[in-house]
Amino acid sequence: MFDLLAQTGLNALYAASYISLVAVGLVLIFGVMGVVNFAHGELFMAGAYVVVALYAGGGAPFLLAVAAGLGFVGLLGLLMEFALFRPLRDNPLGGLVASIGFLMILQATAVMGFGVRMEHIPPVTQEVIAFSEKVRLPMSRLYVIVAAVVLLGALWYFLKRTRFGWALRASAQDAEAAALQGISIGQTARIAMFIGAGLAGVAGALTAPLVSVNPHMGHSVIVTAFIVIIVGGVGSLEGAVVASVAYAFVHTLVTTFWDGVIADIVGLSLMLVVLIVKPTGLFGTADRA
Amino acid sequence: MVDFRRFSIGRRRFLKTTSSLIGASALSGLGSAARAADDVVRIGFLAPLTGPVAAWGKPGLDGCQIWAEWVNEEGGIKLPDGNRKVEFVSYDNEYDPAVARTGATKLIREDGVSFIMMLGGDTWPGVQPVADRTGMLFSTLLPSDLSPDTPTLVAPAEVHPVYNVTGVAWLAENKPDLKTAVMCAQDDALGLPSVATYLAAFEAAGIEMLEEPLLFDPATTDFAPVVTRLIAGNPDIVCLDTCYSDYVHPICEQLFQQGYKGQIISCTADFYDQIIAKTSKEFMEGFVFQFPDFDDPALNAEGINFRDPNRFFEVYNERHPGEWGAVSWEYASIMDLWKAAAEKAGSVEPEAVLAAMQDGGKGLHAFGEADWWGEDLFGINNALVGNWPVVVIEDGKAVIKEMRSIPDWYAAHGDLLKKHMEAYGQMWNQRG
Repeated sequence: MFDLLAQTGLNALYAASYISLVAVGLVLIFGVMGVVNFAHGELFMAGAYVVVALYAGGGAPFLLAVAAGLGFVGLLGLLMEFALFRPLRDNPLGGLVASIGFLMILQATAVMGFGVRMEHIPPVTQEVIAFSEKVRLPMSRLYVIVAAVVLLGALWYFLKRTRFGWALRASAQDAEAAALQGISIGQTARIAMFIGAGLAGVAGALTAPLVSVNPHMGHSVIVTAFIVIIVGGVGSLEGAVVASVAYAFVHTLVTTFWDGVIADIVGLSLMLVVLIVKPTGLFGTADRA
Repeated sequence: MVDFRRFSIGRRRFLKTTSSLIGASALSGLGSAARAADDVVRIGFLAPLTGPVAAWGKPGLDGCQIWAEWVNEEGGIKLPDGNRKVEFVSYDNEYDPAVARTGATKLIREDGVSFIMMLGGDTWPGVQPVADRTGMLFSTLLPSDLSPDTPTLVAPAEVHPVYNVTGVAWLAENKPDLKTAVMCAQDDALGLPSVATYLAAFEAAGIEMLEEPLLFDPATTDFAPVVTRLIAGNPDIVCLDTCYSDYVHPICEQLFQQGYKGQIISCTADFYDQIIAKTSKEFMEGFVFQFPDFDDPALNAEGINFRDPNRFFEVYNERHPGEWGAVSWEYASIMDLWKAAAEKAGSVEPEAVLAAMQDGGKGLHAFGEADWWGEDLFGINNALVGNWPVVVIEDGKAVIKEMRSIPDWYAAHGDLLKKHMEAYGQMWNQRG
């Protein structure tokens, strides 16, 4: 039983890592721009396809492909900010609808560029850290965990310790007041979109060799991310991380000890309970909720 | 600089020229339409060509195009009033019942098809009212779509999931030391009847299920928790049911990474070379499944009713490298059956073709002579059942180990299958 629990813990740690990256990016975009980005799952998918193109197709080193995934999807985020969200800045519903349109464009582009079939990506490594015969952590999963810790740590440092980070937080708290202090709202929006989209892209790129990469892979990711940010508190980065860890552990435990269908029901129930008991989410404030 | 005035023409001349061109092209269009009506028989291909289930649609259409080329080279369908070329008209149903219904209507009304092939499953309920209204002949790969209310629906290629019993029976005979099993499946119309079938097959073979089958949401992407649970009790066999290839691949990779060393059995192993690349040849050695590569020499044996399977496999892989899958040959084999029936009936009318197809209660299935069967399970004898291959991966290559009779297994263990189908609500009279 100890082995089973330990392996379940390792599985949950991996799940929490990539869910955190996606959810934090989604929260950052919502916090600064006030837009619910429905295309966030497809940004995750775009990151995975960068790895398909560069690593699986082009033979580039995996880490280079992951970095390219971050950069490329970050640029996609800038494109979204410029073409969709900036013209609709005072219209959050319009931004949401535009993001749904962009979602479809990204899916169709992936279908046209790569086809509908699952992509084959060679394993980055087959090495496994064996704690015991039954408790094993593949190195490819460890990479995702380490990358998530490093990237989220860097984001925390950026937001708390740099002038750009302060500007970003100020814009998220009160855009008008931040503008009166001389902060460029346009610039903070661009930074938020680049980082938020880039985090989704890097999550997709890192996990690409471990999942089925296909044009529709973003769907389940965005559903999970929405559950997580509602539980954590819409607009709260800390809440997104804590809720990702909580959701991943609960979902993984229930899948392991009952089954995956019940785990989905429990995950949704968790969100409902939080909405009933604390409608602003675990770390949310009434303003954002 | 180009001076466009040099090319100017008068209004009358412009109208005269363009109207002549339009008239000529309209006439030529009419001509081709008339020729099409005379010389061509259109077959509808209504299956998922995009989306997660596309792997069980698109490769089938690719196989059908090869089939059509071969048949058309020999003159097409031979009917009393002349030969007809075959033309496939495809419609992507996206594995969505509403889209499938629109597609069926379009194929019948606008394209004038004489027969429609489907994957079936979740999309059949959307199409059934169209079948009822028009009397069109449809085929499905999933006989669980059959019921007494579907008289014009046939399942002539595969009796999914009943043929899965052959893999388990072969395993029990050839590896008698395997005594315990576990199973996982996606919770959907493909997964559940297959779960019931494997449970019956394991019970018939005296193999103990260590626990209830583990069902997962079809949206699952991370299979580590599923695999952790599956192998926690040290099973001799891990059964992957009828999982889509999007699941089989990551599950196998997880089994490998979590140190599983036992037997694996699965309905399909599409693109198994990629699974080997993600695991190892040694890990995949002995993997049992049900769908052969058509370059297998065993398919050249007498009694196989598929034209030049080795050449078909070669041409398919030349045109679509690395895309050979479970359904690549199946829709083409349905077309063999349909062609024979149409020529026997001397007509492509759905009613006449169906009557000719089922004449005498027997038919030539790709893997040998077979019976029209199914009343026990489906309430109607519209499934063509005979032999089915047991395929094993040996040294990195799929090899047919044996052709086993499904009817023989059913004669001995049919009650077990009915018991488990009923327990999972999969009998025809239990389906909603």
